[in-house]
This record gives sequence, structure tokens and C-alpha cells, in this order.
Amino acid sequence: MLELEHVKKSFGKLEVLKDVSLSVNKGDVVVILGPSGSGKTTLLRCINFLERADEGKMTLADQSVNLHSATRSEVHAARIKTAFVFQNYGLFRNKTALGNVLLGLVSARKIPKAKAIKQAKDTLDWVQLQDKYDCYPSQLSGGQQQRVSIARAVALNPDVILFDEPTSALDPELVCETLEVIKQVADTGITMVVVTHELQFAKDVADHVVFMEDGYVVEEGTANEIFSNPKEERTKKFLSRILPPEYSI
Amino acid sequence: MGEFFSLERTIDAFPKLLQSLNVTFEIVIVATCLGLIFGFGLAMIRLFRLPVLYQIASVYISFMRGTPIIIQLYVVYYGLPMLSMNLFGLNINSWDKLFFIITAFVLNEIAFIGEIIRGAILAVPVSQTEAGYSVGLTGLQTFVHIILPQAVRAGLPNFTVDLVSLFQGTSLAFLLGAVDIIGRARMIGTNTAHIFDPYVAAAVIFIIISVLLEFAFGKIQKKGDVVYGRIHS
Ligand SMILES: Nc1ncnc2c1ncn2[C@@H]1O[C@H](COP(=O)(O)OP(=O)(O)O)[C@@H](O)[C@H]1O
Ligand SMILES: [Mg+2]
Repeated sequence: MLELEHVKKSFGKLEVLKDVSLSVNKGDVVVILGPSGSGKTTLLRCINFLERADEGKMTLADQSVNLHSATRSEVHAARIKTAFVFQNYGLFRNKTALGNVLLGLVSARKIPKAKAIKQAKDTLDWVQLQDKYDCYPSQLSGGQQQRVSIARAVALNPDVILFDEPTSALDPELVCETLEVIKQVADTGITMVVVTHELQFAKDVADHVVFMEDGYVVEEGTANEIFSNPKEERTKKFLSRILPPEYSI
Repeated sequence: MGEFFSLERTIDAFPKLLQSLNVTFEIVIVATCLGLIFGFGLAMIRLFRLPVLYQIASVYISFMRGTPIIIQLYVVYYGLPMLSMNLFGLNINSWDKLFFIITAFVLNEIAFIGEIIRGAILAVPVSQTEAGYSVGLTGLQTFVHIILPQAVRAGLPNFTVDLVSLFQGTSLAFLLGAVDIIGRARMIGTNTAHIFDPYVAAAVIFIIISVLLEFAFGKIQKKGDVVYGRIHS
């Protein structure tokens, strides 16, 4: 479904992605773990062309594109096939919850307005925001904003949804409800790549876990393999820092 | 000569001054409208750093913002006919004074409004553009649906300040012989030998209109706040 080969990206002298390859099967939930600064966000942004990689190839739903030299139409095609859930929600501040979900459907996907409205409302209902259609982002809590953002991504029905630390900007008491919604998305069978530090969540939903550090994929495997039986020293060290004691390895 | 100030004479001056208000409004409206249109172009040139044009735009803005409007008025009034003569062999010396006055204010407003528009667009966080791209919008769609509406809100307070200062700045037009409110006040003063009263009346008119403008745009701003919700970055 999604295949990345030899992605490299530097900011000036700083090599952020040194050589990252990654393969995501259709319907899988892939969780990316790794310490802060290891390049996780940059990787997701390269997939969505919010950042131009220096090198690398991406195959997405049977179409290959060079991440460095993609043309404008290839970039557009890739963006149409993906959706992004940002750490800071990334909602359009001048649009209501409904307007946020609607815009991509009507303007990018060219879905007729009436059908798009129904689809947008259905998706907002599905994330329990049936009474918030007309609220602007500033009138919503962080958890509600992130649910709008998730609804916006799901309504587009993309091939892959990219989540970048979707709960790390939230107050602790809102993390849980948001993770529940993301699990609900995973249950639909949509392909997802999720960067998160929520290990319990990763254990619950991940089909595949990737551990990144310092611009490389250090280790990958099933959730069980990575959490219970990590092979690499660096993975062990990272997990021991963030796992609660009952998981101590 | 009588007393220095008379309420009666001041009140008498009002209807005469108001007859000239249309000249003032004409300058303000034309300068603002053309300022918005060409200022938008200027802002785009600066934002996209279009080669050559960017340098020309920067010099233009420095001149317009760095010199008093009175100098710009004289430059246009004396310079434009010369330029027109040399370039096109066209003698425009006899054209209406108001044409030169308005041209000077238009050129000035293009620079000021251009910078307001540029600042307003830059005030919209990059994350809003990225969110647009992420749902598959093109650059143009993102600009029209997301950036522009937010920029209008961000720029409205500065635009209001600029509009009021343009309105008051038009009071210099009399120096080139325009019969706007100030020009008319001067005429009344000279004719009646009571210099002071018509200027008091003119001041009152300026204050009332300035306050009304600020009030109206304040209302629009408030309405935006209610419609969009508070915007905090
Ligand atoms: N636009 C940028 N310009 C310069 N440096 C950047 C930029 N974006 C990210 N970086 C740097 O790249 C490194 C990796 O960042 P990021 O991909 O956000 O890591 P992570 O998401 O894993 O925490 C960090 O050192 C960060 O400071
Ligand atoms: Mg990150």
C-alpha cells in the first residue's frame, strides 16, 4: 500500500533522515516510535510533500513517485491519497467544524455539495460531535478539535491516514477519549501510520511497530516483538525510559 | 473685525464646507480602491519575491513611506506632465488639478495598503497553508478559502488606521489648489476675513467622520470575531 525507499532529508547541515525505508501493508496500523528529534515528523511530512525529501522513492496505492523531484501533479495526486492529523490539530480557524470537514470534500475531491454535507455530518456524528457542527475551532476543547481533525481525515476516505503525535498536545484527561476515537478509525480497516508515545495504545492497535532513532529505522516488528523482545540495545534503552515498570524488560 | 471666534459664523460655515466634502471623499475612495487592487499586486510581488520586480517594489515602498505626502503631491503635480511630455509627447498641463492630487494619493496608498496586505498575509500561520495542502487543496484554493479570509481579519485594524489617516491626509490637497473641505475653509476665511471659524467647523467635520469610520470598522471587526470565533495564534 505504502512503500518508502531510501528517504533522505537534511535541513542545512543537519541530517534528519539518513536512510529510511518503510513498508506498510493495506489495512495495517503502523506505529512509529522514537525519541524526540529522531525525524518522525519529518518523515510523515515528506510523505505528504509538506517537506521535500532530498532523495527517496514512494509507492502509494500502486503509483511510484520520486520524493525529491515529484511534479506538481504528482504531489497533488499523493496528497489526494493521504490525509494528515497534525499534533496541533491544524484546523482551519476561519471554518466551522462542518466547514473544516467539508472543504476538502467539495474543493479537492469535487464531491457534490449535498452529498458532501451528508458525508461530513455523518463523520462528525461518528466522532461524537453531532452537536458541534457550527462551532469554530476556538470554541472547541483540544480533544474536540482533534476529533474534528480526525473526522476531516476520515471523511476524505484516503488510502492512508498519517497521525503525528495526535494526543501529545492534549490535556491528560482528554488523551483517553481521543485515543478511543483513533482506535475506532483503526477498526474500520483504513491504513494508518501513527507516530505516538502512547505505548499501551501502540500495543493495542499496532500491526507493525517501527522504532526510529537518529534518522534511521533501528528496529521493526510486531508490537509483541518490539515491546516484549527487542533485539537492539537502543530500542531496549528507549523502551525502558518510557515503559511503565510493569512492562520492564 | 469683531471678536476672534463666533459660534454663529462657525455654524454658518458647515453647509458650505459640506458642499466640498465630495471632493475629499472622491480622493479617499479612489485612492483606497486603487490602493487595494494594486497594493494586492505589490504585496504578491514582495511575498513571492519576484525577481527584478521585488527590488523595484522595495524602492517604491521606501520612497512612498519615507517621504512626506506633500513632496509626493508636488512630484506628481510637476513631474507627471514633464514625464508625459517626454515619453508620449502628450501635454497634460491643463488637466484638472484633482487628477494629479488623486494620482499622488493613489500612488501613496498603493505602498501603504500593499504593506498592510503583505503583513496580514504573513500573520496567518504556515500551519494553515499546510492543513489546506493536507486535505488536497491546491495552492490557489488554500489561498482563497483559508489564507485570504484570515488575512482580511488580521489586516482590518491596520487598514482602518490607514483609512483614517488618508482621510485626514487629504487636507493637504488644498496646497495644490483643490477645493476640498480645507480649501473651502480657506476661501471662506479669506472672503469673510474671519480665518478661525471655518477651520473650527472643518475640524468638527473631520473628527465626526474619523470617529464614524473607526466605529464602523470596529463593528465589522467585532462581527468577524463573533462569526469566526476568537482567533489566537
Ligand atoms: N523546518 C526545519 N528546519 C530546520 N530543522 C528542522 C526543521 N524541521 C525539523 N527540524 C529538525 O529536524 C530534527 C527532527 O525533527 P522531527 O522530524 O520533528 O523529529 P521528531 O518528530 O522525531 O521529534 C530536529 O532536530 C528538528 O529540530
Ligand atoms: Mg514530531
